[in-house]
Amino acid sequence: MPDFSSLMSHGVFHLLAGLITLVSVLVVVSKHPVKSAVFLVVDLFLLAAVYASLESHFVAAIQVLVYAGAVVVLFLFVIMLLNLQPDQLRGMRFNPVEAVTLIVSVIGMLIMLGVSMSGKPTGLGDGSMDVNAIEAAGGNTYMIAMKLLTDYIWPFELASILILLAIVAAVVIAKKDKKPVVS
Amino acid sequence: MGLTADEFTIQFISTVVKFSILAVMLLQVPPVMLLVERRIPAFMQRRKGPNRVGLFKFRLYGVMQALADTIKLIFKEEVVPEGAQKVFYHLAPVFSVFPAFLIAMAIPYGPDIQVLGQTIPLSVVRLDVGFLFIFAISSLAVYGVTIAGWASNNKYALLGSLRASAQMISYEIPLGMSLIPIVLIYGSLDLNKIVEAQTTFLKWGIFLSPISFLLFLIAMFAETNRTPFDLSEAEGELVAGFHTEYNSTKFAAFFLGEYVSMFVLSCLASTVFFGGWQVPFFDVRALDQLVGLPGVGALVGFGSLLMKAAFFMWLYVWVRWTIPRFRYDQLMNLGWKYMIPLGLINVVATALVLAAVWFK
Amino acid sequence: MVPVEFYFMLACVIFTLGLFGALFRRNIIMVLMSIELMLNAVNLVFVAAGRSIGNLDGQIMVLFVITVAACEAAVGLAMVIALFRKYGTVNTDILRLLRG
Repeated sequence: MPDFSSLMSHGVFHLLAGLITLVSVLVVVSKHPVKSAVFLVVDLFLLAAVYASLESHFVAAIQVLVYAGAVVVLFLFVIMLLNLQPDQLRGMRFNPVEAVTLIVSVIGMLIMLGVSMSGKPTGLGDGSMDVNAIEAAGGNTYMIAMKLLTDYIWPFELASILILLAIVAAVVIAKKDKKPVVS
Repeated sequence: MGLTADEFTIQFISTVVKFSILAVMLLQVPPVMLLVERRIPAFMQRRKGPNRVGLFKFRLYGVMQALADTIKLIFKEEVVPEGAQKVFYHLAPVFSVFPAFLIAMAIPYGPDIQVLGQTIPLSVVRLDVGFLFIFAISSLAVYGVTIAGWASNNKYALLGSLRASAQMISYEIPLGMSLIPIVLIYGSLDLNKIVEAQTTFLKWGIFLSPISFLLFLIAMFAETNRTPFDLSEAEGELVAGFHTEYNSTKFAAFFLGEYVSMFVLSCLASTVFFGGWQVPFFDVRALDQLVGLPGVGALVGFGSLLMKAAFFMWLYVWVRWTIPRFRYDQLMNLGWKYMIPLGLINVVATALVLAAVWFK
Repeated sequence: MVPVEFYFMLACVIFTLGLFGALFRRNIIMVLMSIELMLNAVNLVFVAAGRSIGNLDGQIMVLFVITVAACEAAVGLAMVIALFRKYGTVNTDILRLLRG
């Protein structure tokens, strides 16, 4: 009888994985864009649950806050303002190029999966999942903050410049062209 | 996880019990607010509010009005508009109610109690990123408003919902940013730790960071779509905004969601700024030994939190009936051009002060 | 503990579904949503692999990926709005100026 906590983590993971797969299929297959957006929100929420089960609480909270709470809202706004109608999937008969892309990428992924599994079996070890060790080091957020502001300070600052650029770009691109006033 | 089976069972059962008690408690808030919302402004305006409804000639100052209103709402006929999107029309109230209840799970309602040798925190879940969880879930509340308006097949409902959701998104930023200085001061994202750090009266959040309190208060009003920011439900402008086409139980659900999220944000404000379950000049946790009964400290702490939350709810009602409503462009101006820069300055100033204090 | 390969398999499944959506949907916005799904699969790999190595680098990469994905979604949607204004449609069968 495997020990209780590992049984629980396996059970939780398999449940979440099944739900995520199902909801992802629904995202891609739904005809109505708003339905897809809502399924995407559920998907992101479930993924955040997976991150939380991996003891990455900060990333899980940020995922819901930024991704599910802002990016998908943006998608919804655009869908509603453009008043998009439901559409169907394109047929696979024309465009063999894309079908080949899909098949090749799937094969590539299976190869990489096989390579990763053929090494020596790693569990999630090294005590990095030990909750007490993380608490003693100050908590997940503290550890991430220390690393982010020391080793990764350059990408951090550059990311903020990137966000500023994206804001300006989005506003400029989406603006209506004003007709110049003839004086 | 490292828990044995018995520890896990105790934690699990205690979580279920806590959640049930919390859910029942939160469901009592809207009926009470139904009454409070009418009687208190009546007193402020020198008139009597509803005081006629009675049960068996038992008038009791209009307490039964809440019961009458609830029964009326439930028994109204449910009319689904013709072109409404089937699934989303029925799903939208869920997105409004669900986040409010989820947020309530991260707030500490009392000091830790000891049950069967295990320490059980009195928040339904004890998260080390409690703050972020609360903001993350409150961003999900936008979906209820957006989908409700869109699914109603009504131009005015759509307009109202887009305005309301744009307002909610815009004010999420000051809501979060105003609480960053609090996190800096108390050094933790965990709400239990923040409450435990507010030991003396002068260490309450409101004294350590008054500008945050001001910003959070304004953002709190805007997030729950309450006056002076309630133009999305303004009568006379947009009929009833995003919930125009909703009646009977679904309208009750939106109503429930709004009041529960008001209550939950009030609890959050009292947790962060007013000391949560702490009572000033008094150590609630030592009460157990003084009185000799286990759990008395927790009850007193819980009562103290409820009183502070009740103060904020009264403030909500008071402001609603006193201040006129903002225009939409004034509202967006306030959010983006005044509150966000003020919030940023607040964060930088707090960081500078803390750096000076720590490194002197 | 759940072996890390299970997380990789789940990520592969999500990635494939996202790729399928990106290739075969007619609506540009659906294509963008499928791209977000692919990015999430990548995030999952980062977090799981980071945990298995015992490092925090995985989680920090995820923060940057989320940032970049948000920026890309914003700019992409702005472009979709501009396209819609000019051409009146978001159908990828019609908007194929860049195609060879």
